[in-house]
Amino acid sequence: MSDILVQMQKDLYAGNFSEVETATKTALDLGMSAPEILNDGLIAGMDIVGRDFRAGDLFIPEVLMSAKAMHAGLEVLRPLLAESGAASQGKIVIGTVAGDLHDIGKNLVGMMLEGAGFEIIDLGTNVTPEQFVQAVSENVADVVGMSALLTTTMLSMKSTIEALQDAGLRDKVKVMVGGAPVTSKFAEDIGADRYAPDAGAAVDTARELVALK
Amino acid sequence: MTSKTLKPYLKYLSDSHIEEIHDGSLDLLENTGIMVDHQEGLEFLEKHGAKVDFQTKRARIPRQLVRRALETVPDRFTLAARNPEKDCPLIPGGRPYSRNGGGADFTIDLETGEFRPLLHADVKDYYKLMDALDGISFIAPVFGQDMPVLGRDILMLREAFGHTDKHIHLRAFTGESLKLMFEMAVIVAGGKKELKERPIVSLLEAPISPLKFLDVTVDALWLCGEYGIPLDVCVMPIAGGTGPMTMAGNIQLLNTEFLAGVVISQLANPGAPLQYAPRPMAMDMRTGFSLAGSVELGIMATAGAQMAHFYKVPVSLHGPWSDSMTHDGQSILERMYMNMMAALAGANVLVGAGMMQQSLVISHEQLVIDSEINHIAFRSVEGFEVNAERLAREVIDRVGPGGNFVADPHTYKFLRGERFEPTLQYRNSREAWEETGSKTMVDRAKEKALAILEEHQPNPLPEDIRKELDEFVPKALKSLEK
Repeated sequence: MSDILVQMQKDLYAGNFSEVETATKTALDLGMSAPEILNDGLIAGMDIVGRDFRAGDLFIPEVLMSAKAMHAGLEVLRPLLAESGAASQGKIVIGTVAGDLHDIGKNLVGMMLEGAGFEIIDLGTNVTPEQFVQAVSENVADVVGMSALLTTTMLSMKSTIEALQDAGLRDKVKVMVGGAPVTSKFAEDIGADRYAPDAGAAVDTARELVALK
Repeated sequence: MTSKTLKPYLKYLSDSHIEEIHDGSLDLLENTGIMVDHQEGLEFLEKHGAKVDFQTKRARIPRQLVRRALETVPDRFTLAARNPEKDCPLIPGGRPYSRNGGGADFTIDLETGEFRPLLHADVKDYYKLMDALDGISFIAPVFGQDMPVLGRDILMLREAFGHTDKHIHLRAFTGESLKLMFEMAVIVAGGKKELKERPIVSLLEAPISPLKFLDVTVDALWLCGEYGIPLDVCVMPIAGGTGPMTMAGNIQLLNTEFLAGVVISQLANPGAPLQYAPRPMAMDMRTGFSLAGSVELGIMATAGAQMAHFYKVPVSLHGPWSDSMTHDGQSILERMYMNMMAALAGANVLVGAGMMQQSLVISHEQLVIDSEINHIAFRSVEGFEVNAERLAREVIDRVGPGGNFVADPHTYKFLRGERFEPTLQYRNSREAWEETGSKTMVDRAKEKALAILEEHQPNPLPEDIRKELDEFVPKALKSLEK
């Protein structure tokens, strides 16, 4: 691998966003293609970050810092990538379900997904089934992610999945769920595609779901 | 303004209680006196002004003698390590250090979970494990029951020197073997003067409660003074047995015994490093056993620490300690409060890692868990920094109502260092827990112990020192046979 991409990965790991931005421009000047820089530099770098995060060596804010650095590089590549259509990993609608106002977990998932290159449409908290349906439809989302902290509100996840069905969208969008009281058994029972136990797992799960589409 | 938070000292005794106990001890030493089973010791005390009855071996020590002895006892010293990075400086108000409970004879087998005698092969493993665990600052001996009784203490020290570069706490069976062990320390330290400057070993000696000093204790006090070896004056009356039933009475007695130790040590070797080691015990009135994990021991030890602070001497307390038969919930519960109370009492050393059941049993799992329990205690007394940047008013303003701090640069800046990161406490999801085998903390401790024993390489002795020691030890053992 070229020296510039190795250095880019190091800067990405350290969260040095202006260095990553500069390196991206330099790599283009050296004649590398945008998809090459994206795949072998930025995404490969984030894979190392992801590996160390799963191993417990990196913390969430450090991953977010690296993600910010990746975005700095991505912004440089975006106009070039748009031509080849490789800019986004997929579109994900997220929200905390109706009746539930807890959002730190959902926000974390959103930030981590964004860091991994997904486009996020965050509907906030207390999101009704109708609002989820509307957003999935308008954005042509690949995945919808629902969060709940309370055993009393997690049933809204079921109502939302039913609303997606009624609107004829259920086979067009994958559904992932998460939150403290949620389990994979519950996810299965309500007809969701996947359960993700934490923000790191949510990224892997989203990748799998997009690949399944 | 920038400053560290207060030391969160736990206190039971008021200033007037402390004065009353101190005065009571002076009174007891002067009127009741101590029994000294050591002819030279009695003569020594008489020469310095004590009233001695050689028939009953009783020495009554006038209060001015105690006051004089207290004037020279140092308020700080360092338990030096072969590797200076692992030194343990005992400083008033300083951070606590820790060691394992010394003298175990039994173990819980790491592979089978079976209770069995501790053997020579286990000793090597235990030293290796404790060398690797960073929540255990220095190491006390464990004894292999298949080793010869005569010179077992010397062989234990030889194994310790080979398996750790941390400070080593000794146990001596006789005055003769103690002297031989000090000579071994001289070899490793590179000379008698070097050992005095950087004592890489220390000792514990305990008078017999109530108020009795054996010959070996007097020998140890003097020999430690001569070599500059730090000594724990371990005073451990058993409430209701060898001490009064009341907590106050136990403190009164152990404080008196400590002061007697100070007199014997300091009048012979002014400035000799001593540590106050109040180890109040309690007799279980159902079985007659001596308890280790009773909450009152923590309360009494805290009062003992207050007396140590009053005399301005470093203090060593029972930390992780338990009556339990194995590394179970009872063990972890008892050692957690014992250790926390001791740390909050301002102990310089937390003693007991690994030890269970009347100080007879040690286990690998318990040592690994105690390394963690010690870290929690270290973290608890450390407090935190208070200054404008850390109070984060600007950050709170920047984030604003309803925002979050996860991706804020302030979070990134202080991400590492504010918190202790545990290695044994499970904090992930149930899914992940089930996927990895639904392991309990004890399972994880066992895995960690096995991994350390597999991978850890202790820092070996320099070749010339190793040779010299290996020539010295057989001669030393032979000299004991005479």
